[in-house]
Amino acid sequence: MNVVSRGIRNAFRNTIRTASIVIILGISIGLSLTMLLARQAVQLKIADVQSSIGNTINISPAGFSGFSSVNNSLTTSELTKVSSLPHVTNVAESLTDRMTTIGSSTPSFGGQSTSSSTAQTSLTSPVTINTNSFGGSAGGGRGFFISGGGTLPTNFTPPISITGTNDPTSINGTTLTITSGAALSGTSNTNEAMISKSMASKNNLSVGSTFTAYSTAMTVSGIFTSSNEAAAGTVVVSLPTEQRLSGQTGDVTSAVATVDSLTNLSSVTATIKSTLGSSTADVTSSQTAANATIAPLNSVKNISLFSLIGAVVAGAIIILLVMIMIVRERRREIGVLKAIGGSNVKIILQFITEAITLTILGAVIGLIIGVIGGTPVTKLLVDNSTNTTTSSTSQFGGGGPSLNITRGRGGGGSFFATRLGGNNIVSGVKDIKTAAGWSLLVYGFGSAILIAVLGSTFAAGLIAKVRPAEVLRTE
Amino acid sequence: MLKVTNLTKQFSSGGGPVVAVNKVNFKLPDGCFASIIGRSGSGKTTLLSLLGALEKPNDGRIEVDNQDVAKLSDHAQIKYRCNTIGFIFQGYNLVPNLTAVENVMLPMEFAGLAKDMRTKRAKELLEQVGLTVDEMERKPGKLSGGQQQRVAIARALANKPKLILADEPTGNLDSQTGDMIVKLLHGLAKSEDTTIIAVTHDLSISKLTDKTFKIDDGVLKEV
Repeated sequence: MNVVSRGIRNAFRNTIRTASIVIILGISIGLSLTMLLARQAVQLKIADVQSSIGNTINISPAGFSGFSSVNNSLTTSELTKVSSLPHVTNVAESLTDRMTTIGSSTPSFGGQSTSSSTAQTSLTSPVTINTNSFGGSAGGGRGFFISGGGTLPTNFTPPISITGTNDPTSINGTTLTITSGAALSGTSNTNEAMISKSMASKNNLSVGSTFTAYSTAMTVSGIFTSSNEAAAGTVVVSLPTEQRLSGQTGDVTSAVATVDSLTNLSSVTATIKSTLGSSTADVTSSQTAANATIAPLNSVKNISLFSLIGAVVAGAIIILLVMIMIVRERRREIGVLKAIGGSNVKIILQFITEAITLTILGAVIGLIIGVIGGTPVTKLLVDNSTNTTTSSTSQFGGGGPSLNITRGRGGGGSFFATRLGGNNIVSGVKDIKTAAGWSLLVYGFGSAILIAVLGSTFAAGLIAKVRPAEVLRTE
Repeated sequence: MLKVTNLTKQFSSGGGPVVAVNKVNFKLPDGCFASIIGRSGSGKTTLLSLLGALEKPNDGRIEVDNQDVAKLSDHAQIKYRCNTIGFIFQGYNLVPNLTAVENVMLPMEFAGLAKDMRTKRAKELLEQVGLTVDEMERKPGKLSGGQQQRVAIARALANKPKLILADEPTGNLDSQTGDMIVKLLHGLAKSEDTTIIAVTHDLSISKLTDKTFKIDDGVLKEV
């Protein structure tokens, strides 16, 4: 029997006490590991959100929020200044207008009409409206609603967006996949258009077919699919074509600037804001959206960090107090060991081994608690945090991503139908799982042993101070 | 050979300095069994602590084989306690969760003896003090007071010390067992050529020892 084996054996000297200490330590270590796993999972999710959102900046006319009309628009010349800014790699400009289907009635909004005689098309929107779902709240349910109330006529079909863009490979950052025909050139000024697969199917169109828009015959040059529902009801043409057809030469209703790296996103956003001025354009980067999404996760990250520190400190204090108690209880034994030739180093090593044994047993229980409880506790933290955020944002009619059909400029009443897709981003954030990898377990185990050693340090000082002569005096 | 010269130890207390050991002088040859008698607080335990290098004297010399124990460094004192001294305590002070054999092996482990060597010697010593093979594997709680004191004696002999210091070795034992322990110590002193100093206030022990000293207020006199 040597110092180490004696230390291990001493850990089991009092079974009930050992069990109590191990359980308390196990809970403390388990909580530490749970918080470590939660923090790691949240960090991964934050990185995931950041990488998925991308490094783009949205530029729209000042006051344009997607829920109201705007009487001014940006111009290509203004956006040329943005293109020339450092770190801006691309500026996708677009001009969006809303067309009504020829023969379709338009809804009334407080007596105002939204009809426009020129912006008409022969196309019928592939979007269908379930009239049973009308009246949904702005807070987040699925369905359509009409801002400010109003009624829909029986022969109403949803309006169709027409977007002229200098980058027909995407709309508002959503990539279009050409399934038939060819992509348009963003700079051409021809009467050609791209339509979605569902639009083509709804109107029995194929590549080469024609339809009318703005009383002009348009030829289908390509058919696309997209992950964005909004794109299904959109006709895509080149920017010069839309400017010509709608009579808005030089105007742009939105632009998406791409920045060379995520690290430059904030600074470039600020530069664009100062270049265009707040009275001209609203500039929002994907970072803004990311920050809003990440905010509850950061809150969970902070909670888990503080809980982790608390649990580690609690573990260290438990070991410290246990070791002080053990040393005080075995003062005489320590004195005897010193009297019969035991050095401070050997005796301290024996007690540290005892502390490490208790901590390892606690760590095993803690690892089980951590692995089992990691995911549920993390989900609970994230749920609570995101629910708070969602309830606060929903008061303002916020929610998930929306399909906006908006006039863009001019027009009378504000008509927009919004399909709230639920809190998809928040749901994505809530879909969080912890993973206890080997490295994390090794670090956790190493930390537990470090806590044991640190917790024994004070006890070691007490051991060193025990005078063997005390054994004789207390006989 | 143990030679103590002008050994003095004083403690400071609330009422001023207390001289616990006052200019003590004596000499003991190897294999001598001596007893020191005295009432409580006379200074006998302090003297034992000084001889065992558990405390440092204020003045004087303790020579064991011409080496001055009082001047040893802390590290050298540990080695001295390990290799030259054997302690026997009144309350036995065996480690409760170790068997009799393991208790006897402890000083040999501190001295760096190989495991098989210390197991062999521990069993020999326990046999020498009269423990059966079964008793050797028992923990102290399962042994009688006399058996525990025998284990303590075997532990004190483990590293073949030059000097065994016994503090009230029969204090917790009945008279019959106490006599047996004293006879055992006497026999070991002769057979192992070890000097034994037993501190006691049991006058009957002094009749069985080679030399008897009386200590009173820190002053030692041979009786």
